[in-house]
Amino acid sequence: MIAIIGAGPAGLAAAISAAQSGQHVLVLDSAPRMGGQFWRHRDFVKGYRSEKAVEIFESFRKSNSVSHISGASVWSVEKSQDGFLINYLKNGKEECAHCEKLIIATGGYDRALPFPGWDTPGSITAGGAQAMLKGQSLVVGEKIVVAGTGPFLLPVATGLAEAGAQIVGIYEANNPLRWALSPFALLLNLSKFGEFLHYRKLMRRHGIALHFGKIATSFVEGEVSISKVRTRSGGQIIAADAIATGWGFMPDLTIPGIVGCNQKVDRFGNVYCESNWEQRSSINNVWVAGESTGIGGADLALVEGAIAGLSATGARIELRLLLRRWRLRIFAKALQRSYPVPKNWTSWLKPETTICRCEEVPYQSIEDSIRELGAKDSRGVKLFTRCGMGLCQGRTCSRNVSEIVQQITGAEISDAERLAYSNRPVAAPIPLGILGDGKKN
Amino acid sequence: MKNPDAIVIGAGIVGATVALSLTNAGLQVLIVDRGPVSSGTTGAGEGNILVSDKEPGPELTLALRSRDLWFDLQDDVGDCFELEAKGGVVVARRDPEPLFHLAKKQEQCGVLIQKLDNYAVHELEPYIHPEIEHGILYSQDAQCQPMLAAAHVIRAVVNRGGKFIAGAEVQRILHHNGSVSGIETTQGSFSTKIVVNAAGTWAGNIAERAGSQLPIAPRKGFILVTEPVNKYIFHKVYDSDYVANVASSDADLQTSTVVEGTQSGTILIGASRQRVGFDTTMNYEIVRRLAAQATSLFPILRDVQLLRIYSGFRPYAPDHLPVIGEDAQVNGLWHSAGHEGAGIGLAPGSAQLLTDRILARDTFMDAEPFSPKRFQSSLTQLRSAI
Amino acid sequence: MKTNTYVIFNGNSIPFNEGESVAAALLRSGEESLRETRFHGKPRAIFCGIGVCFDCVVAIDGVPNQRACIIECREGMKIESRP
Repeated sequence: MIAIIGAGPAGLAAAISAAQSGQHVLVLDSAPRMGGQFWRHRDFVKGYRSEKAVEIFESFRKSNSVSHISGASVWSVEKSQDGFLINYLKNGKEECAHCEKLIIATGGYDRALPFPGWDTPGSITAGGAQAMLKGQSLVVGEKIVVAGTGPFLLPVATGLAEAGAQIVGIYEANNPLRWALSPFALLLNLSKFGEFLHYRKLMRRHGIALHFGKIATSFVEGEVSISKVRTRSGGQIIAADAIATGWGFMPDLTIPGIVGCNQKVDRFGNVYCESNWEQRSSINNVWVAGESTGIGGADLALVEGAIAGLSATGARIELRLLLRRWRLRIFAKALQRSYPVPKNWTSWLKPETTICRCEEVPYQSIEDSIRELGAKDSRGVKLFTRCGMGLCQGRTCSRNVSEIVQQITGAEISDAERLAYSNRPVAAPIPLGILGDGKKN
Repeated sequence: MKNPDAIVIGAGIVGATVALSLTNAGLQVLIVDRGPVSSGTTGAGEGNILVSDKEPGPELTLALRSRDLWFDLQDDVGDCFELEAKGGVVVARRDPEPLFHLAKKQEQCGVLIQKLDNYAVHELEPYIHPEIEHGILYSQDAQCQPMLAAAHVIRAVVNRGGKFIAGAEVQRILHHNGSVSGIETTQGSFSTKIVVNAAGTWAGNIAERAGSQLPIAPRKGFILVTEPVNKYIFHKVYDSDYVANVASSDADLQTSTVVEGTQSGTILIGASRQRVGFDTTMNYEIVRRLAAQATSLFPILRDVQLLRIYSGFRPYAPDHLPVIGEDAQVNGLWHSAGHEGAGIGLAPGSAQLLTDRILARDTFMDAEPFSPKRFQSSLTQLRSAI
Repeated sequence: MKTNTYVIFNGNSIPFNEGESVAAALLRSGEESLRETRFHGKPRAIFCGIGVCFDCVVAIDGVPNQRACIIECREGMKIESRP
């Protein structure tokens, strides 16, 4: 049997292509419904479901040999004699699925940067605002600032506006001229320009202004401070009851880490799971697809998923899929190049700004642990301050802490440090009672 | 600082406390470590300062002294490492006689014990399994946050004229005519007449760089950490099997139940011991076993969620006693290592003992049982031990 | 879409729609914060919205640290800001 962890674009595409072989495919996903973060629409939410999603959902449902277990929260994966054991929680019980082959498509999440007030109600990630809107038809505020970097800010802002919110402005930290660095990627992906024009139209309709080279540096008592990225000058105060920030995405590499798949660091400092041309990971009979292999968006995830599904069943991989993946990966790289996180982002932190939300660790404590106690990396800071030891297991703060250390000490962040972020043997919290009742040989 | 009076290799708690006691004795001390502070076993420790788990003998004598020295250390460097005399409660699930017998012998050595009946056990630990009827309260058992302790102690060393170089890996310990003359590291060479090997699990490796040997090997252990919850556990609570496992030389996996709450609200659950070299692979079967044992001791933990697991390597010598003393072959090379799971608790005591030996002062106990010479007398025998 | 199903949040009845997450139901009903932090008692609401950041954790039917953003409301569910 082939098991797929994740029912987002990559996981669904993998399931559909693997099912063509007639082999039994099991898809496990923690959400109540399929679609992942990208297609998390509820049926009663109108207007968001793209035709592609409808098509994928349909083929998925029609695939006879596919079973989908929703609400399955995978907490660990173990190697067995002839494959893998996937341990997951469903409805408060532990279940175990056995498979010979495993496709990991666990997606990603928003990169969040701390700023004064980012831990107060009303501050939400761009993805979070989108999730509440698409998944729950809930608009997170009446007067919303959208800030950060990347093209994802546009659908978030326009989506919120369509749902009735007033978007005070989109503050994009980078300059669009950075795209001049990647003309080839643009030429290869002209359709992406069409997407931009679509959002542009919506922005016009709702009177949303897009500001380049500007960032939101604080959100305190209903006021957002905006300043220029380079000079930090031109401070401007805007009234808003919510702020949605997004700084690109990060893959959740917890499951690949548990399985032991080799991970690497790209030149932008992003960690990703290594895969070959067939989406095979470094571990035999384990494939990775979608954001796990490096952030690339839903279109790329669909292609990678399809390739992984075909490879896992031994089917021929069509050249057109490989070409499409090549083209989309070039675009993904161009996105990374065009929308970097400002190097000096730590300069907007105040001593009391929370860095680790779970353990409520302020910037000052981190600075003290570095200057006074000799912490040299995020692990040291963690041991001294508990930064990253909380419920989210450092998913939110690890990378930010590394960059704070780098900013203070001037030392480069080692690959080993970055690779250690996803070392989480417990992928999802599990009650000790259930754990102890589970199989013991 | 090119010519320090002494060089300490290892910035864990053992190295830090030796460095401080040498500094306080008037020496100028350089600490080197291949990584930052607490990057080895100290960084994976629970911070146990225990007398309860020691059988009568030299280790217990050291533990009792060391426990008091921890509080002196707090007076010296400040209340900054969460030192807490929380006390240990050891319970017997079956026949309590072996536990009572051990406690009696410990009491004769100066350990404060209090026999607990059914009522007293449940008064001290209201959430413990109702069927547990016997236990011993060890009020001297304490706890600290070991990473913070090592960091603050090293900071005190530096403030008092010492120096710490992180990221300096020792390549060679130089000696001339059988006496230490200095060290070569990846960050330069230093001359000295005194080198202290406090490299914990890697101490054998350091000894080799002086052309000597030390049979220190790793014993792997997992610790489970739960989500933060309300206070359910008030002491360090463990099963009397733990003492037997600590003292055992068995290579196979052993697990016993050790449960305690922390100031941050998480609960720590141990303890497993396994001789598998420096293998960091996760073993979920051990994790399940630890969870099952902990929840059978504290049923309320059944609904508490496991958040993370960490593993560490306890450095141990073949006879499970720490190695504290001068090298048999190289004069001026001193070892303080192999404290197994008790390195945090035994650190200040070991530091005191070693400092007194180095300075040829009277010691508070006979240091002979800890002498490295017990292994180094016969090299052939030693090689087979590794 | 209007239903008459309710959850109990800190003792008050809050209506919810079928399939709605705990976080969405509470925020829609006008609650501004879902919990107070355990060290400093600071208000927190929803942040990542997808179950990654654990910032929206509440006690549900006595079980602490449950993510309000991914758990669906059930009739009569008891939700508390503090465990």
